[in-house]
Amino acid sequence: MDGSNENIQFSWGKKRAKGGAKMDTQFYDSFTFDNVKYSLYDSVYLFKSGDPEPHVGKIIKIWQQNQAKKVKILWFFFPDEIRKHLSGPVMENEIFLASGEGTGLADINPLEAIGGKCTVVCISKDEKNRQPSPREQAMADFIFYRFFDVGKCKLSEQLPEKISGLEVNLLLNPKVEQVTSFSEQEAHGVDQKVLNAPLPLPQSTVKEDESPVAAVSVPQSVVKEEESVAAAIPLPQVAIKEDDFPKPTENVPKSSENIPKPMQKVLYGERPSKRDRSKWFKLSWDTRLRNADEQGTLVYIQNLDIQFASADIEELIRDALQLNCIAKPINHPTYDDPNNGKAYAIFKTKDAADSAISKINSGLVVGGRPLYCSKGLLKVPKPSETLVGHLTISNLKMGQRQREEQKKAVSTSHCSQPNTMEYDLALDWMLVREKQEKKFRILHKKHTEERKSFASMMGK
Amino acid sequence: MATPDEDPKKVYADFEKKVKRTIYIDHLSPQVTSSVIKAALAQCANVVDVEFIFNHTIPYDIPSAALVELDDEIQAKAALDLMNDFPFIIGGMPRPVRGTCAKPEMFRERPPCPGMKKEFRWVKQEDGVEYEGMKKLKILAKRQEVENMALIKNQLEEEKELAKQQQESLDGNYKKYDMLENVIQNGDMKSLAQHYGVSVADEF
Repeated sequence: MDGSNENIQFSWGKKRAKGGAKMDTQFYDSFTFDNVKYSLYDSVYLFKSGDPEPHVGKIIKIWQQNQAKKVKILWFFFPDEIRKHLSGPVMENEIFLASGEGTGLADINPLEAIGGKCTVVCISKDEKNRQPSPREQAMADFIFYRFFDVGKCKLSEQLPEKISGLEVNLLLNPKVEQVTSFSEQEAHGVDQKVLNAPLPLPQSTVKEDESPVAAVSVPQSVVKEEESVAAAIPLPQVAIKEDDFPKPTENVPKSSENIPKPMQKVLYGERPSKRDRSKWFKLSWDTRLRNADEQGTLVYIQNLDIQFASADIEELIRDALQLNCIAKPINHPTYDDPNNGKAYAIFKTKDAADSAISKINSGLVVGGRPLYCSKGLLKVPKPSETLVGHLTISNLKMGQRQREEQKKAVSTSHCSQPNTMEYDLALDWMLVREKQEKKFRILHKKHTEERKSFASMMGK
Repeated sequence: MATPDEDPKKVYADFEKKVKRTIYIDHLSPQVTSSVIKAALAQCANVVDVEFIFNHTIPYDIPSAALVELDDEIQAKAALDLMNDFPFIIGGMPRPVRGTCAKPEMFRERPPCPGMKKEFRWVKQEDGVEYEGMKKLKILAKRQEVENMALIKNQLEEEKELAKQQQESLDGNYKKYDMLENVIQNGDMKSLAQHYGVSVADEF
């Protein structure tokens, strides 16, 4: 514990083996960080400074060496990251567990890069996987049942035997539903892992590679059964980027084909203050829109069918334009004309956004509706402090206390009773409201009819 | 394995249930937060979630609005009855809020409706009549949009006007009562009563 991080609470959990070239690496089962307990195989959010989107991964190793606390993270991929290799529908909140060998499978990160716990539930029907309860599934932030092989760039529903040297069942749902009763499962898991994990054993490496690299400096003494896991990691700086295989460098994975997982995620000292923590990984749509607007990747599409949901719009853009985007419908329930569905779409690049705009405007017709679009965020005034029609009585004689009370009134509510002046005034508002609603209805009906008669004219 | 065919249907059915237990409230003050809404509805419903609707499309200063998810459909109905039987006032007087049933398209985050047709085609200039037609339809859509915005603007002005009128009459009323209070308190009332030989002591 070096306490270098702005006094954020931290403590280690149960110790595991020691290891490393100089026996200076201590491995752990768990740790408590900012009052949250993290154990091996927990899913976590990781953030990278400058990258608005969070990453999600599983902790597969925890250790400390030279005062530096590190975790090894096995990644999950978001649909966006592997869109090229994706076909067919993607479930809501679906993510994909990395598998195979190659860049992007797992990385070593400073422990402080962890931004919070994340619930990822495996819904694979495979018998190895404990089936999640409906409640569990409903509570989950993400679900997964497919695996993305980073070497072959292939998606599969088949459970691989091992991922990054770990038995796959360690990476599925924990055997017990509640995370609190983790210890038992872990005890099993650990033994199994030590016994079954052949990869980190120096011996096996030698066999496979027959390269001198494997022989590197692992002192005999370390290779005791128990500590074998640790032994294989001729760690820090050198090995940071890849998996633990002491791989000869010419053996670099071929998969440099666009797997955009970042290598190192965090810079110390750039940790957002505690208060913002909840917002790190769930950037609001609003902020994303603003960012996209600045980067010129935001497109405002109009004249859609109002029933289209995000996924429909995204699929449409993918099919029609062969472009990926994140889209969301944005009609205002009260004010917007339901005949004219509107959406914002965020594209990957400015060029993609520009080409989407020109293509859509050149004549994309969806279900008889010619779409049209423009770039960027609409200018919308900031809402004022108070609502039109909320009145105040200005009274100089009013005491401090009364004024305080009037302020507090914001957080109160009531039904207006017929014997008050307020009731009369409120009725005025209800009358205006009725009239307005009627006007909207008439206008929108007229619009629908105009569209219909136009369509029938076109049909002839 | 979760087959993609049946899952979206189930997801959508779940979503439809959520829609039914959700109400849409607008004409809210921008100062109202989710805890205020929670407290306001506490007498008849338990608020599960509040999602404020960001305004992204209307270029005017419009009231705030929110989708409020409750425990079940019965609560949703009770809450709407409460709001529609009397003027229901949250966070400021006298303008009441408006509550309606939520509709699927109000949700920004929603699963796609299964069986949604997404047929698209490209209409090029070479297509002649059709191209012209689509061009006209686009113009029609844009014109309708302008009409809609004009109506919104008109309504917002109407609201401002009403608020102004009410404020004036409220101020006037207040002044009147203030004056009366003064007359009584500073003794003018008594001396006038004495002067005219009227007894007012009992009344005040």
